[in-house]
Amino acid sequence: MSATSEKLRLTGLHLREDQITTDPIDLLAFDRDAGIDRGTPGAVAFPESTEDVIAIVNWARENRVLLVPRGAGTGLTGGAVAEQGGVILQFSRLNRLLDVDLEARLVVFQPGLVNGVLDQMLKEQDWYYPPDPGSGRSATMGGTIAENAGGPHCLKYGVTGNYVAGMKVVLSNGSAVQFGGPAVDYPELDFVGLMTGSEGTLAIVTEAWARIVRRPPGVDTLMVAFDSVEACGQAVSAVIAAGIIPACLEMMDQKIVRIVENHAHAGLPVDAQAVLIVEVDGYVSSVSSQMEEIASVLKQSGAFDFRRARTEEERARIWNARKSAGGAITRLAPAYYPADATVPRSKLAATLAAINRICDEADLRVGYALHAGDGNLHPHILIENPNDPELRRRVQAAGAKVMEWCVAAGGSITGEHGVGIEKREFLPLMYNPAELQAMRDVKEVFDPANILNPGKILPPIAAPLPPTQTQPDLFTGSRFTPGSAQEAVEAFRAWNRSTRPVRVRIEGGKTKSFIRNDAQILLSTERLKGVIECAPHDLYVTVAAGTSIQELRHELDDTGMHVPIASPWPGATVGGIVSSNFNAPFRCLYGGLRDLVLTVTAVLPDGRLIRLARPFAKDVAGYDLKKLFIGAFGSLGLVTEVTLRLLPLPRLRDTLIFSAPDLETGLRWAKAIRTIHRVCSGLLLVNDLPDALSRSPWSLVCTLESLPQEVEFEASVITARISAEPTRTPQISATDLWCKYLEKRDADKSVFRIGVPFREMDGMLQQIADARDIRWLADLGNGLIYVTMSADSPSRIRLVDAAQRKGGYGVMVAAPAGQFTREETCGYQPQSTALAQALKSRWDPRGILVG
Amino acid sequence: MAFDYSSELQRCIHCGLCLQACPTYMLLGHEGDSPRGRLRLLRAAAEGLVDANGQAGSFHRHLDLCLQCRACEIECPSGVQYGALLETARRTLQPPEQPGIIHRLVKWFGLRVTLPHPGRLRLLARLLWIYEAIGLQYLIRRQRVLPTRLAAMEELLPPLHWKSGWRQRHWPAAGRPRGRVAFFTGCVQDAFLPEVNRATVQLLQRLGFDVDIPADQTCCGAAHIHSGELETALVLARRNIDAFSRPEYLAVISNAGGCGAMLKDEYARLLEHDPVYRDKARAFSEKIKDIHEFAVEQGGYEPQRRVESTVTYAESCHLRNVMRVTDQPRQLLTDTPGVRFVPLRETYCCGSAGTYNLLHPEIADDLLSLKVKSIAETGADIVAVSNTGCHLQLLRGVRNAGLKCRVVHTTEILNAACAGESGAVRSKEERR
Repeated sequence: MSATSEKLRLTGLHLREDQITTDPIDLLAFDRDAGIDRGTPGAVAFPESTEDVIAIVNWARENRVLLVPRGAGTGLTGGAVAEQGGVILQFSRLNRLLDVDLEARLVVFQPGLVNGVLDQMLKEQDWYYPPDPGSGRSATMGGTIAENAGGPHCLKYGVTGNYVAGMKVVLSNGSAVQFGGPAVDYPELDFVGLMTGSEGTLAIVTEAWARIVRRPPGVDTLMVAFDSVEACGQAVSAVIAAGIIPACLEMMDQKIVRIVENHAHAGLPVDAQAVLIVEVDGYVSSVSSQMEEIASVLKQSGAFDFRRARTEEERARIWNARKSAGGAITRLAPAYYPADATVPRSKLAATLAAINRICDEADLRVGYALHAGDGNLHPHILIENPNDPELRRRVQAAGAKVMEWCVAAGGSITGEHGVGIEKREFLPLMYNPAELQAMRDVKEVFDPANILNPGKILPPIAAPLPPTQTQPDLFTGSRFTPGSAQEAVEAFRAWNRSTRPVRVRIEGGKTKSFIRNDAQILLSTERLKGVIECAPHDLYVTVAAGTSIQELRHELDDTGMHVPIASPWPGATVGGIVSSNFNAPFRCLYGGLRDLVLTVTAVLPDGRLIRLARPFAKDVAGYDLKKLFIGAFGSLGLVTEVTLRLLPLPRLRDTLIFSAPDLETGLRWAKAIRTIHRVCSGLLLVNDLPDALSRSPWSLVCTLESLPQEVEFEASVITARISAEPTRTPQISATDLWCKYLEKRDADKSVFRIGVPFREMDGMLQQIADARDIRWLADLGNGLIYVTMSADSPSRIRLVDAAQRKGGYGVMVAAPAGQFTREETCGYQPQSTALAQALKSRWDPRGILVG
Repeated sequence: MAFDYSSELQRCIHCGLCLQACPTYMLLGHEGDSPRGRLRLLRAAAEGLVDANGQAGSFHRHLDLCLQCRACEIECPSGVQYGALLETARRTLQPPEQPGIIHRLVKWFGLRVTLPHPGRLRLLARLLWIYEAIGLQYLIRRQRVLPTRLAAMEELLPPLHWKSGWRQRHWPAAGRPRGRVAFFTGCVQDAFLPEVNRATVQLLQRLGFDVDIPADQTCCGAAHIHSGELETALVLARRNIDAFSRPEYLAVISNAGGCGAMLKDEYARLLEHDPVYRDKARAFSEKIKDIHEFAVEQGGYEPQRRVESTVTYAESCHLRNVMRVTDQPRQLLTDTPGVRFVPLRETYCCGSAGTYNLLHPEIADDLLSLKVKSIAETGADIVAVSNTGCHLQLLRGVRNAGLKCRVVHTTEILNAACAGESGAVRSKEERR
């Protein structure tokens, strides 16, 4: 043990000898990740428990030592490189899978668990953890959370951020707190979403919950060729427009194909200009018809040389060829620069042409392997001689030009590799000083001492904020309705300068009928209306916050697309639903608002206007601040615009209604369905359905929506499992029923939403069913219970307390019209309260917004 | 393709896909004990950042802890020849300090005194048979008189026979001969597990081949090359090439993954710069076939008897990672009537790895217990193996864990299934 490590020990870091090393040889092995950045740490520590992490963080803060968390070091942008020295926290020994709860559809794990190992274990039980980054065989879950990793199958299934449901973290002040957890939609700021993709700069994850889904039993893989890269790009758009989302759409250009074929011998068409790999999945009965439909679209788009993988071996050979693209390149040149950018899908072909031009001009060789379905491209620029500084400069300059082009095309500088060291100087291409400052604010709130992975993500020098030009008048009326974001900016600036304190409350569609007399001014979005951009080919729609759901639906009428958001209250606005994070039963199929919102434009209470993220799923540039506005109830700023994900309308929707003899049976059936379903868009347990729909007091309502074969097959599996004959009706869905239930409440009653970990659902429901003075409906697809009762009912305190004791929560979602209410969260205190308050006072130093 | 150390080293792109394949990384979680980390260190040495021959701290420990199982090579998208790089490094970068007494003892007694000399090995086996037969082994094991390291070595001793060696060197095919093959016996296996070789030869006969066992053959030299003993390895390689030089051999059959990998993969590279042996070595390597590979390729495995057993297969790392023979043993076992084949979850090295279990017993034992635990999970009553080192290591592991489970070479099962006498494979324990 060297002198330095003795010193470490003497200054109070208590770890076993084999848990820390300062041996210079050991440190050399940790001086890089899979990218091009380098930095030798001063020590490497191997935590084996949360307590170890706490001890290291406290020690580091007291001794001003920097900490760099590291999983497997497979990142590509230097996220885990100790650029400024410090101690690397190597998580390979904190790698246990702690729990697999199939009924809850959740896994609990430590950060060192390997992504591929998790999926392999789940595969054995026919379950699935979809994010599959190319490094997944080695990458740790902690690392994939830090980078918000993607992969080929993200097209259909989403990225890491769509699966992480909660986490336990150690903050830089040494305290251990929990964000999110085993229940859904906790009434707190979405720090889980913020942490995902924060590259270890905000807090250190020591445990996490992630959602899992059923593995599709059938897979079909097809490889086709194209005459031009452009034709291939257009074919990708045509497939998406046809309304089937394949599991993945991967494209390689001729250069890469030739390189790969040279060693993989997968029989790739080397004469084609571009090759597209299409994979569809689902029930066996549906995959071939999905593939036939896609194949006919491809044929019309000029595809030729159709090769369909007939056996598992043929499929493996195709994927092996795709996945060895990176390694195969090293047979041509000893190194390469793997760029990573995303553009809207419709800009793919133009982007590829532009990159070819940039590389030709710089006399560089480039080949593409890209996640075409996501618009996420990876041009690999060859580096023939890594020791030639002039060549490296040229490669970097070309890389910068590629970034500039992509950003100008509405894209992102990084789709899945992260910012780290390598991309941080490009971040100002996407974000203006005000937006960067908002990100820096978050970093400073979480890590005021700047000891957690310093220097990553944010560019080194903060550009000064532009001075305010206007001196707007102070708005002093009682209701302010800005007609544009700029008007709101001016108003906030004026309020900030006001000598008297100003209290403002943001209201959306006023659907909750709350009256709060705690603000002088109501700020309404009612003049911020309308669809700003509808891009069905790129699967997004951007709307002003005050747009109602009906208007949005109307706009989408002829597109064959929908946005799965719903509200029982007419007039509900998109901004209101986003701000209250109000999710309908079809959340269990389509995800919640945190999964559907792609970008947010907001005015912060200090008058900064910020536009966050880009309108596609694969964007990991900078902190994911948009997540903070989902469910913030207008406390952090005024949301003026939202981009939502579009999805093809389901071709078939059918609802099965099972009549259960009693509550226990209903619940048992629901659990059984939860371990089966893949296309279920709502699972409700209700006790007062109209007679026409149900023959008994307890009904289990299960809506399925997808392709016809998918729905039919799942319906038969569910019916067989439950061995009861359901009433089937395509007329009504679980979400419709939920809307009806919430809408129809007695004038003097309030509606509460109770969320508990699914494991606690039995006890919670029993307790609710025993209460006399209430009506309820259980959204068992998501693990939520909606209870209608008087706000002063004795049951209310009992039930909310019980939910909190079980690791859940209760919140009021609607109150009787005109009634004053102060306590929407029913006393729920998330562990992140202090952080949320700190962030709030950073963005709203004068406390203008009440929320 | 000629092997060039420094350009090969450059080809690692540091992607890390090898990490999870590596048993020492899995156990220790330390980058320096992963294939990528070791290559990083080798590169640092090549760049002069580390004085590998001077006081290099933990440099050599990280290299030494590698089991050379080469599982990383399967995962490598760039096709880096990790095994060859590490071997070259071990040979050329010598640690400044003297290795420990055990290390020197193993090297001197094992690599120089015994392995290259089949006669001496047989003599040793007979002496040890006496030690077992008169009950000395029983006493020593019960009284635990040996120091830990020595006891661990002693535990590797399989139940021995007085009879070993070959009473004849030519074995005729059963039925009409389909060709002539030569059989490579291996050194330790021939002396300590003679029944394995007998079963393999009988299986070859039943498959319809005349089998020659050239008398001049010797140890393959794998243990030597992995310990940096290049000169001895070269001598052994040349001797074996000469011993099997008769052109009428359809193939040279090996039944041990470690030896087969050495013969097939390394001889040509070792003798690349030897003008006399270069071409002979290449021709020899091309003829090497693993018995399972050969049996599946040629066909003709026609089991006559049911082997009513639950069987699992503990793969030899070198058979899989170097010879790339994976499916054939499983297929042959599955084709055997009565066999209920249960795959083994654990795919990491069992810790034997040539002399590794003698030199790094802690890691070897950790790996062994993982493997044994996994064997227990299968509920198998027979573990099939395909390499000598694994065979001895698993015999010890299964015995120490008290599992009711026999360890036999795959060909012992296959041969028994072809035989007339009885359905079950009879192990030495039963016979005794």
